[in-house]
Formats: sequence, structure tokens, C-alpha cells
Amino acid sequence: MSDTTTKRRVAPSKRDYGYSNARVRGMRSRLLKQPFMDGLMQAKELSGVIQGLMETEYGLDLEERLLHGRTAGQIDLALKDNMVRTFRKVLVLVNDESIEMLNALLGRWDLFNIKTIVRGRHMSLSPEEIVESMIAVGQLTQIDLDELARQQSVKSVVDTLSTWKLPFAIPLRAAMPEYIESGNLAVLELALDKYYTEWATKRLKGRGINQRLVKRFLGTQIDTINLLTCLRLLNADIGDQDPLRFFLPGGIQVSERLFGDLARMSDVDEVYDRLKRTPYGRPVEEVAIKYIESGSVSVFERALEDYLMRRAFIVGRGDPLGVGIIIGYLWMKANEVTNLRIIVKGVSVGMPVQRMREELIVV
Amino acid sequence: MIKNKLARMVFGSTFLTSMIVPAIALAQAAEPTVQVDPKVGIAKAASAAVAMSVSAMSAGYAQAKIGAAGAGTLAERPEAGTNIIVLQALPEIIVLLGFVIAFMINA
Repeated sequence: MSDTTTKRRVAPSKRDYGYSNARVRGMRSRLLKQPFMDGLMQAKELSGVIQGLMETEYGLDLEERLLHGRTAGQIDLALKDNMVRTFRKVLVLVNDESIEMLNALLGRWDLFNIKTIVRGRHMSLSPEEIVESMIAVGQLTQIDLDELARQQSVKSVVDTLSTWKLPFAIPLRAAMPEYIESGNLAVLELALDKYYTEWATKRLKGRGINQRLVKRFLGTQIDTINLLTCLRLLNADIGDQDPLRFFLPGGIQVSERLFGDLARMSDVDEVYDRLKRTPYGRPVEEVAIKYIESGSVSVFERALEDYLMRRAFIVGRGDPLGVGIIIGYLWMKANEVTNLRIIVKGVSVGMPVQRMREELIVV
Repeated sequence: MIKNKLARMVFGSTFLTSMIVPAIALAQAAEPTVQVDPKVGIAKAASAAVAMSVSAMSAGYAQAKIGAAGAGTLAERPEAGTNIIVLQALPEIIVLLGFVIAFMINA
């Protein structure tokens, strides 16, 4: 594992949020505004988008990447570089208390990256194809991810993670025999998901106001994953398997009992009826018609993602001397980069502005 | 560790100085004019010292917090420099009020 992850940092004392939050708020003031995004969407060609972005924080990263060509792919890489750089910058300047909590939350990116590598190896994709889909904002750096993507098989990925003594190696090692026997990738993914939720919950020990806030936010994340699993189970044939096998503990609203009830339902109306008294009733209701029209679970995925983003923004508007400001900013930044990537892709393929606007997550 | 010890020593000596110096000064100043009960004089001097030192330390605490946040803001938005200086100087009023109160106690 590269030593950049263990580099010593000079940070404020344990609970001093004054310095870090002031810096984060300064950084937040430089996030791109909606009229600017609208201007980018109006661009006829990629050069218009590049010109617009060169005057922003992304200029530095674009300059480096555009040396390899003025393509949508290179702009995409520059946007990812900027996101990684920003996340790392924030992690260096925050205090000891918040770094523990942020590492627990950002573990979802490590989870996402490891899942991508395992999927890529399972499908025998090339290392380049795997690396393209990853963003190194967690504990694993780009060098680590490149090394993992170069491994020859799923087993060697697990072995490498074990050598690095990374926590995610534990569930993978435990689930390996079943995976080898069945060849079913879902076994590994489920083991990873379960381990992450338990690992992150354990790291958020303490009864402080910040810990409670982060626990609640993590709980919301787990709820959305559980709900999405239930919605996927609506149309899936899982045979004689117990649906509770897919339940992730640690959520706030979606208990094991509610999950069991939802997983046994047969249509989206029933799900809505059961959910309407929870905060998730509204997002599900809003896209129910769209789901009936399209039949795709991705509309729910998108609605729940929007809901989670809105929660992050609310968290970011709370205590000015709390960890919420930092969480809110990191999620806003990730959202901005996602939106810009959509715009770059859209402009490069000549997508209509209205369609692009529908794809953006605007909170 | 050494840094902590040094900080404690600096804080301790500042605290003691801020308590003792005004007390001695006020006690000396009160002596030649009117004959008062020495206990009252000491009590007055001690009260003035407390008013002055507590207000000075409160201002220091406030300035430390504002300074940290101000440094963070300046790192990201140097154009906010003037506002930060104004905010940084604002708690000085607390010291001034403490000084006035100390003066009034003795007067």
C-alpha cells in the first residue's frame, strides 16, 4: 500500500472546528452556481465547456489533462482529479475528531472502488477499464487502486488487500469459499456491504452532538440502500432464499421488520402505502408514476440519491462549529463533479439541454 | 509535552502578574490621600484586579477563536482580510470595559 495514506498531517487540536470550518466555508463559496451550469449546458462544443471551466477551480487540473488531448475523456479525468485533490485537502486540514468520522463516511468510496475492482476482475475487464470508473477519495489512493486493478483474479485482489491489512479484506476472505463454489459475485458484494455498515457504525462511537449527526447521516445512507434492495426484490426471483439475508443493519427508519415486510410485497403501491409515514414516502411517491411507465428501478435509485443529497445539504446548514459543515461541503463537491461530468458527456454527444437538465441533481 | 508546559507557565505567570500588579499599584495610589481601612483598600484593589484580569482573559479566549477562524478564512479568501481584522479587534472592547470597571471600583 502506498505510504501517502499514512503521511503525518499537521491538523488543529482534537475538537477545534473554527479553523477547518472557516476554510471549508471559504471553499464552499467557490462552488459553481446554477447560472454557470446553465451557461455550460448551452455550449455548442466541448471547447466552450473547457473555456468556461478554465476560469474556475478546475482550470489547474484541466491544464494538466488537456496536454493529452482536448477530449471528453480527459475533461472527465480532470474533474475526477479535482475532486480527489479537494477531498484530500479537506482531510488534511480537519481536526482529529472529524477525521475519524469522515473516514467512516468516506469508507463508502473505498467500498465502491473495491466492488468495482472485484466486478472488473470477475468480468475479466482490462485494468484501464476498471480504473476509469474509480475515484480515489477514500483511504485507498490512486496508486493502490491501480495496483489492485492490475491483479489477475478476484482471489489475488483479496490476497493483496489482506497483505495491506485493510479491513475490507476480512469479509472478502470469509466469503471467498462460497464465491469460488458458486461463482456468484453477489456473495462478495453482500459481504462487503454488511461489513462496511458494521465497520462504519463501530467507528462512530461516542455520544457527542457530532457523532450523533454522523450516525444519523450514515443511518440514512443505509436506509436508502435497504430500500433500494427491497424495490429491486419487487421484480426479482430469489427462489427460496430468505430476503432478510440482504438486510443491512444500522439504518434509522428501515428496521429488519419493515425490510422483511417490504421485501415480500408485490407492487410499488403497497411499498408506498407502507412507507408513507416515513421520510422516504415522498421521494418514492414522486417517482412512482415514472417507474410504472419505465419499469426501471433506476428511477427509485435516482430519487433516493437525490434525497440523500438533500439530507447532506441540510446537515451542512447546521452547527457552524460542527462536522456537518464539512460533510455538507464534501457531498456538495461530489454532486458538483457528477453534474459537470453529465454536462461534459451531454455536450460531447450533442444531448438536448432539457435532457441534460433532467439528469442533473439540483438541490 | 514541552509545548504544553511552556504554555502553562506563560499562562500562569501572565495570570499572576495581571492579578498582582494592579493590586499593588492601586494600593500604593490609595495610600497618601485618604485614611481608609486597609481591608477595604485591599478588597477594592483585588476586585479591580479581578475585573481587569478576567476581562483580559475573556478577550484573549475570544480572540483565539476568532483568530483561528480568521486564519482559515484568509487562507481561502484573502479578499476578506479587512473584515477579519475588524472582527479580530472587536473583543478588545471587553478589555476596555474591564479596565473602566476596575478604574471605577477604585475611584
